Amino acid sequence: MSAIALGKTPDDDRVLVTVFLRGGADGLALVPPVGDDGYHRARPRLGVPPAAALRLDGPFGLAPELAELHPWFLRGQLAVVHAVGSDDDSRSHFVAQELMERGGAAASGGWLGRWLRARGVTGALTAVTTGPEVPDSLRGAPSATALAGLMALAPGPEWSALCESLGGLYARDSRLGGPARDALAAAERVSKLRTEGVRPEHGARYPERREGEVAHAFGQQLAQVAALIRARIGLVAACVDLAGWDSHFAQETIVTPRLRALALGLSAFATDLGTALCRVTVVVMSEFGRRVAENASLGTDHGRGGVMLVLGGGTPGGMHCRWPGLAADRLEGPGDLPVVHDYRDVLAAVLARHGAVPPSTVFPGHQTRPLAV
Amino acid sequence: MLSLAVMGRAPRAAPVREPHFAVPEAQEVDLVEHVLCRCGFGAAPGDRERLRALAPGTEEAVDRWIDHQLQPTGEEDPGLRRSLGRLESLTQPLGELYEWKPEVLLRELSSAALLRAVGSRWQLREVMVDFWSDHFNIDASKGECAWLKPADDREVIRRQAMGRFRDLLGASALSPAMLWYLDGRTNRRATASERPNENYARELLELHTLGVDGGYTQADVMEAARCLTGWTVRDRHRFRKGRVELEPALHDDGEKRVLGHRIPASGGARDLDALLDTVATHPATARHLATKLCRRFIGDGPPPEAVETVAAAFLRSDGDLRLTLRTLFRTEAFRSPAARRTKLKRPFHAVASALRATGARTDGGPPLLDLLGRMGQAPFQYPTPEGAPDVAPAWTGTLLWRWRLGMSLAGGELAGTSLDVPGLVERAGGLDRLAAHLLGRAPDGTERAAISASPRPLAVLLGSPAFQRC
Repeated sequence: MSAIALGKTPDDDRVLVTVFLRGGADGLALVPPVGDDGYHRARPRLGVPPAAALRLDGPFGLAPELAELHPWFLRGQLAVVHAVGSDDDSRSHFVAQELMERGGAAASGGWLGRWLRARGVTGALTAVTTGPEVPDSLRGAPSATALAGLMALAPGPEWSALCESLGGLYARDSRLGGPARDALAAAERVSKLRTEGVRPEHGARYPERREGEVAHAFGQQLAQVAALIRARIGLVAACVDLAGWDSHFAQETIVTPRLRALALGLSAFATDLGTALCRVTVVVMSEFGRRVAENASLGTDHGRGGVMLVLGGGTPGGMHCRWPGLAADRLEGPGDLPVVHDYRDVLAAVLARHGAVPPSTVFPGHQTRPLAV
Repeated sequence: MLSLAVMGRAPRAAPVREPHFAVPEAQEVDLVEHVLCRCGFGAAPGDRERLRALAPGTEEAVDRWIDHQLQPTGEEDPGLRRSLGRLESLTQPLGELYEWKPEVLLRELSSAALLRAVGSRWQLREVMVDFWSDHFNIDASKGECAWLKPADDREVIRRQAMGRFRDLLGASALSPAMLWYLDGRTNRRATASERPNENYARELLELHTLGVDGGYTQADVMEAARCLTGWTVRDRHRFRKGRVELEPALHDDGEKRVLGHRIPASGGARDLDALLDTVATHPATARHLATKLCRRFIGDGPPPEAVETVAAAFLRSDGDLRLTLRTLFRTEAFRSPAARRTKLKRPFHAVASALRATGARTDGGPPLLDLLGRMGQAPFQYPTPEGAPDVAPAWTGTLLWRWRLGMSLAGGELAGTSLDVPGLVERAGGLDRLAAHLLGRAPDGTERAAISASPRPLAVLLGSPAFQRC
């Protein structure tokens, strides 16, 4: 197979992977501000002791359960943004997720869909989601496919025979010949992927079942995305969900397995890609963070500011936050970390490396000030 | 859903030979195929002879067919009426629509669009509905549009698709869904310091009427927005939700000046009419609409003379869409053999024409809508106000899914859609004639060879380059 990605030019083979932590991931559990006294006062039982956290920058540490991500941070390939979120203060999962995926109240469709449209991306397999349904962020995309559907694209010898017949008919078509060649090659690569299965490279080890169902399932989705990227089927964007972060009650039982899933999955994915990580960015986001103070049932309630991660793709890495501190008078509403950074300013910085489109097209109604992530 | 056609053929012992349906015999696409494919969603079995029977000469028969199509009535075939009857939300009045789940409304409305494109006898109206649904695009995902778009489809787009442009524009301007989609409902100026929301006013001039090069200025946009202040729609938390009304206190009632026309002070609701009267039959509007209509019916890059002719007809008739279309269909550019089967079908057209040409029975349900989504043309979900593009480059990446459609349709793998392939071949009078029916002309040597060598000839035909064009 040629080294050139389908339907794109050789220098246009960048892939954006979004990981949506559904349910409101506790940013203070992912990236505890262990150097802030307010944090320990608010989280007497759930708080991470300063010595246990892995040092990032300023008051921030990385949760010990995310240890596998620390080397990527130290190498400058992982950027961490704290106190980030949207301007929605409903604290409703549904409303906040919907708004975040839409990309602003003034917009219609999804932000990824608008971006793909505006980039003029037209291949058949440009956007995939590993979940059963196409997420709202991909609404209005020129093409968007659930991975299950993609794998069903090549159902056997009859399909191969059809492709062969059609190949002959399209070969003499001056207008559709090129797109047909791309489509046939993509179908062939998907077919190959199906028969050969997903084979991680560079010694990457995705989490196994014994490391938890959540981690296993998440890792398998990332392994498939990595395989698609390697197969160069023309992928431009992929959406992966890691759900179940709604930790009102006994937070550790909910958050710990998901932190492990995130750390094991993302580090395996980054390893698997090898040098290709320079053209692949992973953005991790959630609809909101959680209440600063723990509640009586060892959990936390819906809050505002949370954490975003940017891995690979040319990010300069580092810790990014104008930290407001956790003193009572700095908190918002019922005691929440305020949203200091708009999630769109993180996405805009990443998108700028993935194909220039005016930010006002992707995030209408938002005055974009991209962060240096 | 089951019918005799699916259950099996009449027993061999008592052969009742149905006459074969007519298919094109020539090597070149003829005028009959051209109009069936451009002014409709392609030839269904039997369409060709029905059209030919309208007059002795081809040209005359085509003219009669077009004239007939330009005067649609409510009459529909019982099969389509039954299928649409299962979609209960379609007939719900505006206020009642709020009782429905948005995803059900969107699914039923999308299925209805597909079913009508496949099964309506008023094919030209369905093409125009498709055209106006893009021209006055509304994405059901915004605000309360999901609850309101079904009423917009029924009462604005469908009702006015073939009438006067001014009526269509007026209905769209006060459509609750449009007031949501382009923020008109929030456009207010209760005090001199308040700034009107310009969103709808801008798209009205840029997309719906004059066109981006239509010669208007930013000042015209702002003045147009002032004319529209105060028009709002009651949201779902209020009594009589969905109702459109002018709130006089929020209307800027001062004098305005739009495109050189003075709109006097104290006009109230009349400001809207004055504004729309000015833009609806403006020469730039005529040119903009003529360009888009010619792009749809003649080709991606229509000749300027044809655009001029159609624009002139629009102006002369005061925006009468029937007369405008009749003029378009008489242009040399439209009738020329060079125009035939040169336009890449958009995904919606590709899916509808495949179902129509094969006489498939379908409920227009989720598997088909899912396929449209994968090809980037899920109905009523285009995210930006300009509507889905109407030129080939936007859609060349969808071939893989078109092939997949042909494969699943021929293989009977689509839930809710069924097709009797041997029966279809028999009614066509053999594979070669079925090929002519689907390709719009007799197959050439390469096509014939590809079909005869394939275990799934129908999938090859539906996937072929010739079938992707209209």
